Amino acid sequence: MELLAQARLTFFGMTPNSPELWVKIIVTFILGLGVMFAFTKAPIRARRMIVFSFTFASGLFYILLWLWPVAVAREPGTLPNNAVEGVAFWLDDAVPRIADVAQILTAFLLGLGIMSLLTVHTQRIRRKAQDWKYSVLLMVSLVTMVGFGYVDWIQKKFQDPQGKLLEMANWGPVQYGQDLLFDGAYQQMEAAMFSMIAFFILSAAYRAFRVRSVESTVLMASALILMLSLMGALDFIWTTGINNLVAQTHNPFLDNFKISEVAGWVKSTLQTPSIRAIEFGVGLGAVAMGLRIWLGLERGGVSA
Amino acid sequence: MQYLDTGWFGIFITLMMVTFVLSNIYRAKGKKELFIRRISGLNALDDAIGRATEMGRPIVMVPGIGDLNAISVQAVNIFKQVAKTASQFGTPIRVCCANAAVYTVAQEVIRDVYQGAGMIERFDSQTVQFVSDRQFAFAAGVSGMILRDQAAASFLLGEFYAESLIFAETANAIGAIQIAGSTKTAQTPFFIAACDYVLIGDEYYAASAYLTREPVLVGSLIGQDWGKILIAAMVFFGFLLNSIERVQPATQHRGEDDKGNANWTPVDSATVKEKDKLKKANDTFTFQVFNPFITEAMKKVDPPRKPDPDAPKEEGK
Repeated sequence: MELLAQARLTFFGMTPNSPELWVKIIVTFILGLGVMFAFTKAPIRARRMIVFSFTFASGLFYILLWLWPVAVAREPGTLPNNAVEGVAFWLDDAVPRIADVAQILTAFLLGLGIMSLLTVHTQRIRRKAQDWKYSVLLMVSLVTMVGFGYVDWIQKKFQDPQGKLLEMANWGPVQYGQDLLFDGAYQQMEAAMFSMIAFFILSAAYRAFRVRSVESTVLMASALILMLSLMGALDFIWTTGINNLVAQTHNPFLDNFKISEVAGWVKSTLQTPSIRAIEFGVGLGAVAMGLRIWLGLERGGVSA
Repeated sequence: MQYLDTGWFGIFITLMMVTFVLSNIYRAKGKKELFIRRISGLNALDDAIGRATEMGRPIVMVPGIGDLNAISVQAVNIFKQVAKTASQFGTPIRVCCANAAVYTVAQEVIRDVYQGAGMIERFDSQTVQFVSDRQFAFAAGVSGMILRDQAAASFLLGEFYAESLIFAETANAIGAIQIAGSTKTAQTPFFIAACDYVLIGDEYYAASAYLTREPVLVGSLIGQDWGKILIAAMVFFGFLLNSIERVQPATQHRGEDDKGNANWTPVDSATVKEKDKLKKANDTFTFQVFNPFITEAMKKVDPPRKPDPDAPKEEGK
């Protein structure tokens, strides 16, 4: 506990390139390989037990983190005064370490993802499947992008300690190439995909607003009110009309029928409570699901 | 050292929810038949698989673009049930992943299904595939796949953002039957507009209980329903309590001039004095229960200061 309370004494806080750090890294690496090997050789029942144990331990950590008293205004390098603070400090210090582990695992899994991508597209090219040329394009793009990115990183990291390459005037062919591929091509294509959503919204809305049932009629009516309320000119004409009507009839209740008031009522009285009710249900569902996974009760699902 | 006071209320309510779920799981263990209301989106799963089988076209399944969490695990659970049926009929499936961790889990789960059904030869590299972890590259990749393979059905279940409509409209354009569900309330309207069936809110989490009818899962659903009743009761009593605590006399009276314009005048001074006794929003019991760490000192945004007697006096004052 006390060791973890001081950041400079933790495993990852050791002096870079020190022999102790290298010994610890090598030992951890070998141990990790051993655990992975043992895991692959373990029978399925034992594997499930291991998975359950890891899941339970991870869940327990975050539950403790949530329930345990949080010491406020903790200064760096301070030691805990008692056992409660000791656990709180330990939990606090362990969060970035666990995040590191998760990040490393994600990096490995990304490698598996890229393997999947390469396998699928290599097979498509080999079999000359339909539109296999797109697969060639994808492979070439992947290699080119990684190549430019990697060379750029090496140049910036090792050959440019003053950071001159950050300025466009000092760019070389690699930086221009990367800029062309990423900002010039990829980002533009992404923006184009995003822009297409506008047309998709239009076609989906057209289908949804066709009056075929009571539900679609309600949907169309509420959408119409909200859209009309956002049209400045129409809102002005409507509001002026209502104001004149109020002046003639001396009935301020009619103010409620201004288009902006009706739209506000639809949003605050109908839409917001409905969304909140749905979110309550979603939250409860997530709690129940998390609980089942944590306690290994999700039989027949992912954890079985 | 001081500790952050997060209050007892949140922890108490969460523990109550947990107790509801666990106790109902325990209660349900011995029971065979437990009622779940009909969810048309989940009933349509078999129809969609049947349609794909008849047409000999693949089923495209997307577990969203979120990380590996309860939402994506639930999506994989549903896909597992779909894969069970599809593997029996030899219907090709395509599970497209945007997250490497979700891809790894989905691959293991779906491979297990094929292995369990003795159809492992039907599981190939395209059955579960990683497309891209960039949002719109993923959208383009999956849309291209839906169009090229002329998917007969598409199941969009998980955490979706702006790309939801790209998938839904692309699949709609080729006449694929679509079942969608997202816990993101911002995306649900898009799915409702574009898809045939939509799982709304907690229906999404009810899916595995609905499809498997396992007592443990159905018991958990009943626990969730108890939780909903508790929340509804809390909302009702909360607004009642807050309304009673903050009953306040009017300080202005609305009148009208000759032209019908509103004319606000203060009411008599005896009533106005009552405003000093009014409770502010952050003095109410409800506020204090939910915000125990907000102290009296913190409520004073700009506390009055005593004048400094040594400060030089400004001219004209």
